Amino acid sequence: MPDIRELGPQGRGMLHEGWGTEVADYVIVCGWALEGNAFLVGDAAGGLYAFEGKSGTTLWHRKEVHEGSLLAMSIHPDGDIFATAGQDGRVLIWKSKEGESNKALELGKGWVEHLQWSPDGQFLAVVFSQYVYVFGADGEEHWHSDKHPSTVSAVAWSKSNELATACYGRVTFYDVIRAQVNQKLEWQGSLVSMVLSPDGDIVACGSQDNSVHFWRRSTAQDAEMTGYPGKPSQLAFDQTGMVLATGGGERITVWSFQGNGPEGTVPGELDLHIGAISSLAFSNRGSLLASGSRDGSVFVWLLQKNGHGEPLGGAFVGARVEAIAWRPDDCALAAVNANGGINVWDFKNRIKTSPKGFS
Amino acid sequence: MTNKQKVPVTILTGFLGSGKTTLLNKILSEEHGKRIAVIENEYGEVGIDQGLVINADEEVFEMSNGCICCTVRGDLIRVLGNLMKRRDKFDYVLVETTGLADPGPVAQTFFMDDEIRSEFSLDGIVTLVDAAHIDQQLGRSDESSEQVAFADVLVLNKTDLVSDESLDTLEARLRDMNRMARVVRSKQADVSVETVLNLGAFDLDQVLERRPSFLEPEYPFEWTGVFQLEPGRYEVSLEEGPDPMMSLVVVANQGTDEESLNEGAESCVRLYAEPAELLHPGDNIPLNKHVNLQLQSEGSKSFSLEVEKSGHLGLFTQHTAEEFDIKVRRMDTSVSESGSNQQNDLLIPPIAERTWVAQHEHDDEVGSIAIERNGNVDPEKLNAWLSRLLSEKGVDIFRMKGFISFADEPRRIVFQGVHMLFTSQPDREWGNEPRQNQLVFIGRNLDEEALQSGFDKCLT
Repeated sequence: MPDIRELGPQGRGMLHEGWGTEVADYVIVCGWALEGNAFLVGDAAGGLYAFEGKSGTTLWHRKEVHEGSLLAMSIHPDGDIFATAGQDGRVLIWKSKEGESNKALELGKGWVEHLQWSPDGQFLAVVFSQYVYVFGADGEEHWHSDKHPSTVSAVAWSKSNELATACYGRVTFYDVIRAQVNQKLEWQGSLVSMVLSPDGDIVACGSQDNSVHFWRRSTAQDAEMTGYPGKPSQLAFDQTGMVLATGGGERITVWSFQGNGPEGTVPGELDLHIGAISSLAFSNRGSLLASGSRDGSVFVWLLQKNGHGEPLGGAFVGARVEAIAWRPDDCALAAVNANGGINVWDFKNRIKTSPKGFS
Repeated sequence: MTNKQKVPVTILTGFLGSGKTTLLNKILSEEHGKRIAVIENEYGEVGIDQGLVINADEEVFEMSNGCICCTVRGDLIRVLGNLMKRRDKFDYVLVETTGLADPGPVAQTFFMDDEIRSEFSLDGIVTLVDAAHIDQQLGRSDESSEQVAFADVLVLNKTDLVSDESLDTLEARLRDMNRMARVVRSKQADVSVETVLNLGAFDLDQVLERRPSFLEPEYPFEWTGVFQLEPGRYEVSLEEGPDPMMSLVVVANQGTDEESLNEGAESCVRLYAEPAELLHPGDNIPLNKHVNLQLQSEGSKSFSLEVEKSGHLGLFTQHTAEEFDIKVRRMDTSVSESGSNQQNDLLIPPIAERTWVAQHEHDDEVGSIAIERNGNVDPEKLNAWLSRLLSEKGVDIFRMKGFISFADEPRRIVFQGVHMLFTSQPDREWGNEPRQNQLVFIGRNLDEEALQSGFDKCLT
């Protein structure tokens, strides 16, 4: 096993030095906007930043946008606007280019911890304690859920009109247009994270008791994957829905849904990080997985359909990797960390092979 | 990846009205210059003056395995997980639970969740007790006795509303339930901040220093009186007392110095272990024999005592002489010639008296058990025993603390646990100190003998 420190912030293998900078506090959220031309970052002090995608030049910077701390960000599918939320119980909708907010939604006294734009960009789902609200892009409330049995821990859109929520003991699918419950999946356990397969059929949840529970909506089949050393807060499906990467320890466990799997199969294990996994992200196309750890290391892996994989490159950024994001063209990877550090690497995407190369 | 300092957390428990908010305000107003975050689950008592206050609904999450020891507080994981992200981190976190909260899940959260465990350390559990109402609360609810059992510090509050006598009785009851906790008294939660914060609650030396009598033996009798008696007949009289029956052993040749009293007490424990002979008023009390005095009738009762040789007779009584106004008088009238103050002249005062730590009548299901043994323990045997014990009895064992000596380890191994979760780590070096082991268990319906014999088998 290599000493991860030797990798350095500049990167090794297929990660090539791009740009890096630092912000005032612990970076909590990040994402690409304006078709990869802007990289947005929010920190624990409520600071919000936009950097030029290729050079890292600061485009704009706003201070203390949420009193207490910023907690969540979701970038609209078209990349022109995005939403942030925080401990002040407010949601702000921003213009990516100007860094100006023209809408503020007041949810009340409490934290807003999760936000998600629907795939068509028509709705914004907002979690406020035991309720989920759906707003239009104009800021008008469109619908809100009934009271959940506990604070909602995750939300995900299965379709542009169907929203899934996770909380203690259950996952609920709501039709937000018809304002009805489509499906309830129950299981006694504290669900801490949730991800849906791209076709919306498979629901995977990380659980406080160090397991991953998943359901197939079409067959109502469910299964529990146990044996994780920690709680699997990080989950990621690839774009085909074939493999599910999970954290919950120092190793990345990858479940393959090919054939009758993953039940009864041996998962792939990606084992280079020495600290627990703190972030996972699949590329927008192809099966490239980027992983970040509490130990400050970042790796990129090429996965096979059976869940096994090989590392393509790595870097060491010195502090817990809080979030990781592929640029929309998958030709750059960004990681943000607990010391306020931001690193962006160029990635020569070998998935797009040129047929000319073989002629 | 630096070796960072964990943020200490104090949990404040206690029934509604016990004074938690008053204490919180006191801490916040005195601890200037420290960044303290308060997580509150209770609304509406009195407002908090300053500091960052986060309101969170108490969310108790049980796991699919149904194990109560794995139950955690989801709200704390969520809130603390976000608090730890700030660069200007908090110096201290206070968690105020609702009156009816079971402290188990709160404490377990700091053991069960790996992220919380890596950033925060449970400094201590402080339970406020309303001196005027706790007696009823203890009888009525499990939560109340669990809050007492889990505490590192018990603040006996509102003492101005209760007599000193009832306070002593109450304190004895609380100590009986939790011998590990420090008990402090206060009127309006006006305890010094040092008694509740930065306890390093799991420093056992402190626990043991606080209570030198912690491991003092408990006897089945509360009082011993030694009487200098000449040959003849005597009367032992008892007035109405707290019990319709009292057991007693009278021994011959009882010395009066501390060592003789202790020896007498130990030999008496053996006599007390024999079945008692029932005596009715008027009966003769035999020497060196366990007897039960039947005291059901009203008014004064008397028993007789025959002395053949002059010497010191020791009376070891189940209750104190004061409680029954126990008196010894000479019945031999031939000695009396003077007349008037005959009765007083015949009264024989004891030449020595001793009150013992009474064996408690365990009215409360919740109690504590201490084990103290010299020597070393075998790590493998101890591990096997503890694992079995905690998996079988973990539900009933609320807390466990202690230190252990392993032959090959120059340092003490310190244990602490909540239900079946426990951590152990090396502490200071033994040096020239004799090797010994001390463990304290607090729980419900604990079997003292089984715990002791189980531990004894781990000794090398």
